Amino acid sequence: MKPQPWTRSLLLIPVLAAFLGAQSPTVKPGRTESIPVTGEIPDDPALAAYIAPYAAEIKASFGQPLVKAPQGLFRGRRGEENLLGYWVADVMRESAQGVLGVPVRFAITNSGGLRANLRPGQLKVEDIYELMPFENELVVVELTGAQVIQVVREGLLRRGGEPCSGVLVKVQGTPAQATLSVTWADGRPIDPAEVVKVATTDYLYGGGDSIPTLKKGRKLITTGLTLRQILLDRCAALAKAGQDLLPPAPGRYQVPPELREALREKKLSL
Amino acid sequence: MDRRAFLATLGAATTAGTLLKGAAAPAEAASGRITLLHTNDTHSHIEPFGPGNGALSGKGGIARRATLVKRLRAEAGASLLLDAGDTFQGTPFFNRYKGRLDYRLMRMVGYDATTLGNHDFDNGVEMLVEAMESMERLQHRNPPFAFLNCNFDFKGAPSLEKRMRPFMVRDFPGIRVGVTAVGVAFAGLVAPKNHEGIGWRDPYESLNPVVKHLRETEKVDLVVVLSHLGYQMLDSDFDDLRLPAHVPGVDAVIGGHSHTFLDTPTRLPQALGETLVFQVGFGGVNLGRMDFAVHRGEVRAATGASMAVEG
Repeated sequence: MKPQPWTRSLLLIPVLAAFLGAQSPTVKPGRTESIPVTGEIPDDPALAAYIAPYAAEIKASFGQPLVKAPQGLFRGRRGEENLLGYWVADVMRESAQGVLGVPVRFAITNSGGLRANLRPGQLKVEDIYELMPFENELVVVELTGAQVIQVVREGLLRRGGEPCSGVLVKVQGTPAQATLSVTWADGRPIDPAEVVKVATTDYLYGGGDSIPTLKKGRKLITTGLTLRQILLDRCAALAKAGQDLLPPAPGRYQVPPELREALREKKLSL
Repeated sequence: MDRRAFLATLGAATTAGTLLKGAAAPAEAASGRITLLHTNDTHSHIEPFGPGNGALSGKGGIARRATLVKRLRAEAGASLLLDAGDTFQGTPFFNRYKGRLDYRLMRMVGYDATTLGNHDFDNGVEMLVEAMESMERLQHRNPPFAFLNCNFDFKGAPSLEKRMRPFMVRDFPGIRVGVTAVGVAFAGLVAPKNHEGIGWRDPYESLNPVVKHLRETEKVDLVVVLSHLGYQMLDSDFDDLRLPAHVPGVDAVIGGHSHTFLDTPTRLPQALGETLVFQVGFGGVNLGRMDFAVHRGEVRAATGASMAVEG
């Protein structure tokens, strides 16, 4: 542990002013004392020793095989769809449904939060940690259908389309005059007034990255599940069922190449 | 003034206050002080947050928290170490050890009481009880800590019911402290199969008779509520900020659920005085502290602050 100067954290505790002020002539009411109470805090040796074998066991589990991914899952290069992101969004939506026991119609995450591809072959626990090193939590909020469409639009305009689950997105027309169409995954139209449950991350809901409409979500439910954990759980479930991890089908974002280029160069309005 | 001198002054002033008022009873019986140390929503963050976690990076860790608690308790004298629930879920430690390690470590740190947050039901009632049992069975000089709640009906879950208490009372020199607790509604937060047999009741209506009992029958000087309702919940009828108006006579609310980072307690007036509402983020990155000085059942001074747990 890195030693820190003792004075790094000074805590200002207001002296119990009303009490002391009335009783002691030496302390004025409202006076504040500076009392260092933190600074360098070493581990308690007994607890550290007790934790060590458990922590070692968890670290050892990083090398454990998870599931086979014969094709791998990739974030997609220029002009390709983010199939890894689609898989993550699918797992988010299905996990949220499992936790809540009610339909969750839409899920969205940010491609910037996916830190590594899953290379073809046998996946290990550590591969999921590389993909998702953050403690980002799965959360569920309520949005209207109109807000779901706006969330998709913001993701398109700012990041060229963020990984999502539950919808089909088409951008058509020309760079000068483009139109956006968003339907549910089965092709049914989205009722702008309908209130639906939406899975996302605490990071995006909290205003991280670039989808401001997500912040308008109501009735926040924090699941306590990290994204990493639900991905680990999904891989384990597939392996247990004797299945491979395969990428979801492409086609969620249908954007012609010239429009995709215009999106990337921020020359498109939708 | 250093901490020891500050505390010595407070002690002297407490005694002086009694003498000045000409009390016949011994000074220590009429006046006392207590330090409440507290956490909430630690979410199985046994180790400090790793890099890549923004402002939380490098903070927290229960072994460090133990050191900080030990230091503060050595200096503070009368103290309670309390938690507002959601110990479970958040790291591989929970996935692998099912909360048993979390509760055992809490006992080793010296917790006096906690309550149940929604995530403490994430593996169902049976696994929750197994984690409690694992903590009780630990060979350790610290006694097992208490599980408090007054607004859940545990009748349909007897194995859990026998481990829950609606409140506890602790005596310290010159001060008697009552602690109770309330939890958030299960709907939308806990899958029905995971809270089978447990009912939820209005936390304000549940608290009022308990607070009255603590004050009038148990004759406590200070009432503390561990709340897993959340600090400010606009979509709910119940939160810590509205609690004092509905439940007078509570001196301190140690809150959780909303992961709210407060530097100091929010002070709210209520019918019988003032309530300090506090909450210190989540993941064990901070330790909360509130200090109360009482004289004959009346709070004379109260203060508090959040302390970072960092190495």
